[in-house]
Amino acid sequence: MRLGHLLVRQWAMRPGRALATVASVAVAVGAVVATWVAADASRSGYRRLTEAIEGAPSIEITSEEESRFSIEDLPSLGDIPGLRAIIPLFYRPTLLRVGEKRVREIAMGVDCSTLVDQGLLTLAEGEPCIAPDEVVLDQGLAASLKLGVGDEVLMFARRGIKRMQVTGLAESASLATFSAGGGVVVEIAALSDMSSALGLVDRVRVVLKPDATRSQVLEAVADRLPASLSAEVPAGRASMAEDVLHAADLGLDFVTGLTVAMSWFIVVNAMLMNVTERRRGLALVRLLGGTARQLRHTVLVEAALLGVLGAIVGAGLGLLAARPIAAGIAGALNAPLTEFTYDPVIVWIAMLMGPAVAMAAAWWPAREAGRVELLEGIAQAPPPPARGVSLKYLLGAVSLWCIAALILLAVLLELIPPRASVPAGTVTMLAFVGITPVVLPWVSSGLVRLVPRCWWIEARIAHEQIMRQPVRTALTTGVLVVAVSNGIGLGHAIRDNVDNVLDWYDGWMQADWLVVQAGALGAMPPQAGPDAAAIDTLAREIPGVAKVEAIAVATGRAAGVACVVVARDLPGPGSGLPLDAIGLDETEAREALERGDAFVGTALSQKTGIQPGDEIAVEVYGRTTKVKVAGLVVDFMSGGVAVHVSREAGRTLFGLDAIEVLLVTAVPGQAAALQEPLEQLANEHGMLARSFAEMQSMIDRVVQGIVGSLKSILMLGFVVGSLGVANTVTMNVLEKTRTLGLLRSVGMTSGQVTRLVVIQSILLGAAGGVIGTFGGITTALFIQISSQPLLGYPVQMSLRPGLIALNLGAAILVTAVAAWLPARRASRLDLLQAISSE
Amino acid sequence: MAVLAAEHISKTFGSEAGAAVGVQAVRDVAFTVDQGTFLAITGSSGSGKSTVLHMLGGITRPSSGRVVLEGVDLAGLDDEQLALLRRRRIGFVFQRYNLLPELSLAENVALPLELDGKPRAFCREAAMAALEQVGMDHRADHRPDSVSGGEQQRAAIARALVTKPAILLADEPTGALDSANSKNVIELLSKLVLDDHQTVVLVTHDPTVADAATRVIQMRDGQIANDTALPRTTGVAE
Ligand SMILES: Nc1ncnc2c1ncn2[C@@H]1O[C@H](COP(=O)(O)OP(=O)(O)OP(=O)(O)O)[C@@H](O)[C@H]1O
Ligand SMILES: [Mg+2]
Repeated sequence: MRLGHLLVRQWAMRPGRALATVASVAVAVGAVVATWVAADASRSGYRRLTEAIEGAPSIEITSEEESRFSIEDLPSLGDIPGLRAIIPLFYRPTLLRVGEKRVREIAMGVDCSTLVDQGLLTLAEGEPCIAPDEVVLDQGLAASLKLGVGDEVLMFARRGIKRMQVTGLAESASLATFSAGGGVVVEIAALSDMSSALGLVDRVRVVLKPDATRSQVLEAVADRLPASLSAEVPAGRASMAEDVLHAADLGLDFVTGLTVAMSWFIVVNAMLMNVTERRRGLALVRLLGGTARQLRHTVLVEAALLGVLGAIVGAGLGLLAARPIAAGIAGALNAPLTEFTYDPVIVWIAMLMGPAVAMAAAWWPAREAGRVELLEGIAQAPPPPARGVSLKYLLGAVSLWCIAALILLAVLLELIPPRASVPAGTVTMLAFVGITPVVLPWVSSGLVRLVPRCWWIEARIAHEQIMRQPVRTALTTGVLVVAVSNGIGLGHAIRDNVDNVLDWYDGWMQADWLVVQAGALGAMPPQAGPDAAAIDTLAREIPGVAKVEAIAVATGRAAGVACVVVARDLPGPGSGLPLDAIGLDETEAREALERGDAFVGTALSQKTGIQPGDEIAVEVYGRTTKVKVAGLVVDFMSGGVAVHVSREAGRTLFGLDAIEVLLVTAVPGQAAALQEPLEQLANEHGMLARSFAEMQSMIDRVVQGIVGSLKSILMLGFVVGSLGVANTVTMNVLEKTRTLGLLRSVGMTSGQVTRLVVIQSILLGAAGGVIGTFGGITTALFIQISSQPLLGYPVQMSLRPGLIALNLGAAILVTAVAAWLPARRASRLDLLQAISSE
Repeated sequence: MAVLAAEHISKTFGSEAGAAVGVQAVRDVAFTVDQGTFLAITGSSGSGKSTVLHMLGGITRPSSGRVVLEGVDLAGLDDEQLALLRRRRIGFVFQRYNLLPELSLAENVALPLELDGKPRAFCREAAMAALEQVGMDHRADHRPDSVSGGEQQRAAIARALVTKPAILLADEPTGALDSANSKNVIELLSKLVLDDHQTVVLVTHDPTVADAATRVIQMRDGQIANDTALPRTTGVAE
């Protein structure tokens, strides 16, 4: 490296410049590390949230023909990556007797002690059951039966009554993964023996590792199974947050992608400035016989060195920043951060990314350095860079858009998974930054007119300087364009999705009280007893109750796909339908439901191709019945993979009468008084009574948590953006030392110079904001469109002026603040030094 | 023997960029320079002197005609080969901004050798020798901004000489100097021509500077108006 000492000298002489470059790389790498770690924290937060609602992610293996199958038929699956546990399950309806109380329950046979060891089943108290006469009870159930560890309970089995001892109490949430609505856990061999079915299982639950991709594992498992067995994703209970989670997850991907893009701009910009500032020196070296190659190498080696330094600093800063952000996100998601963990791979990638990106970013400036005009080295005044941009540039931007549009189209046609829209979104963003130099002159000259008359000179020069360096300016602006589009785009997408879900809930649940089943849905009919279906009738008899609506739910299959079948009471005419039927008015939908027709959730329709007018085979409790599909509904129950019928039709067509949810509306003023009788009723039926307010606040908490987590990541984007801008403005001032000194020497006051720099920066901020607004709206559309295959219905998008104004304001504020220090510096220039510098 | 030959070179600016009318800076200039000549090119501002010099040094390419240095046609070389040629066979001295401000005088002088990949010790030694030749060895480790303009120009000449080039091209080397410093630099150049048989082509509009030359070409409107060989008392070998 023959020019090495030149580099070292240049750094020593202009430490500011080298530091600014290192800082750029550090900011970029730090941003990527922080965003990545924070996104990871959010994801695991979301996962815990979903797990709390529907249990650990799992796959279910069931028999194609009979309900039970021999465990011998199950091939070995242990070596499939992503598996956490394989749990054979045996269910048996049973009757418990405690004193005079009798409760109908589903007993679940599992290998209890192994589950506890693996952390899949959490005991609130006591020990796992091991002996055939031991039992673990659901905490809630035990409380309602007034049972504790060590107590005895009678269990009715095929072979008579069995006396069982309660050895432990299980936390309700941890039971959700296995229970079919039951709260009684018995050793599997003991339970199957009680039913004279030793060696048989009802299903096998395969629990996945948190980071496994369900669809991949599902495929791998399905490949191994004999024809008699099938694997599928278990149909769960309404997981209200799932759709928000999907959108949020996609949002996180977008943020990460865009942060990478933003970091890229920051680094390219820094490298570019680093080179342009030294053009004269480079030209002189070239004049003295330095080859273009030598100059290129020098610039690249410098980039690599500064990149390594920046990466080290950046990774450290990123991790430092990520910690509070991750904690904040965990707090917002109500899943406290027990320990701060991050994937060390992230740090390694970031460390490699620093020098790699720096070198890649330096490639163009390096090429430019090799091509400097020889005469520039000796020219009295360096030639002004060409104004405007080439057509090639514009074509490049347009073709980027075309690529993005093609990817989006492919996502819509489901040729590629929705996640592919993330790179497409990033490409769109690049295209927006790409056209920045084209539109910047107009935007800037428009904005200049808004500057007060008394600062006209400053504004003119600021504008002129922006015009002189379209590419550089575009890169600076690019950072802001990305930050603003990020804010506006994700802000819109998230709010739209959240509003959508919340609206749906408003329509779906209007009541003062909810009585709900705990645990996962059953795939077999609950043992019909004298009081099984009577809970709604009983609820109606409670004084102070104005209205009761019952919703019965069971898992089943429609057109071969596992789904949830929902049968709901029709409210009286005039009080609105709890279904959001697409393209049908209320009367038509009501008529269809009364006829016994079904409505199919959009996601299920998306999965199976079921269309209105089709006749589909729906299997519930092993019985297949044909129903006509009257229409599609937007539905957040089980992610839209559901078939909806009237309660009457559910009963007659499918024998479906397992009441899942009871919506109880009180006579005005009586809501509070219903608590006690409803809780008692719920207890007797092994259900839970919840006030609507409680439910609402739970939903709100989840939604707020998700929105909050994304917000903090977006904030991070802005912080990075502002650091990037501060850095660029600083370098800009360093580079313009001579020009500014000249301006000072011809009589510009230091105040004017300060204003010049600040105005210039604000112009950039405003321009970036304006262009970013368009980018943001496009991004929002992008997320909407690309999450469509995921959700199965188009999400309405509405413009939110407040959000846009907030982002624009933030961009301008950030640039104004970022320019302050460099502006001070510029105004305090030593005149002599300034005009004699290089 | 002719070290350098300009064969009917012309230069038009702006014609490449597609402008309707280009500026014809140099029109059909032809001359040869023999070894040991001290050639001064004079003429009023804008007459094309610098442009001719740039073409001679391979900094810009002629629009037509060719430049032959030591039998090598510069038109036949690509940019990288031209860089190597400048590095090894041509020395440049300009009016200002000759030195990199980050490097000491010695490092500046050593730069062409460093670029050529010569061993560091050799570079240092050669640089010191060149600085001694111009009487600047006592300031070798100073930065350019801590020596006077005249001293900077002498260091620049040392750098031009360090590779023992076939030809030294200087564009107004005294343009930014006062008369005393100016005299100093010209004496140095004359001495190089006389003692070391160095070939020098110098552009100037200062008649007193031209007086030191052995041959003067006067330019007007991009053309040679006058080409005079001056008899030198010292009698430089032709
Ligand atoms: N890069 C360029 N583009 C366009 N025109 C140029 C360029 N360089 C020089 N010229 C024009 O060519 C003509 C000759 O320029 P040149 O620099 O050779 O003059 P000069 O004799 O060196 O003048 P001076 O004594 O002022 O240095 C001038 O009219 C000048 O304007
Ligand atoms: Mg000139």
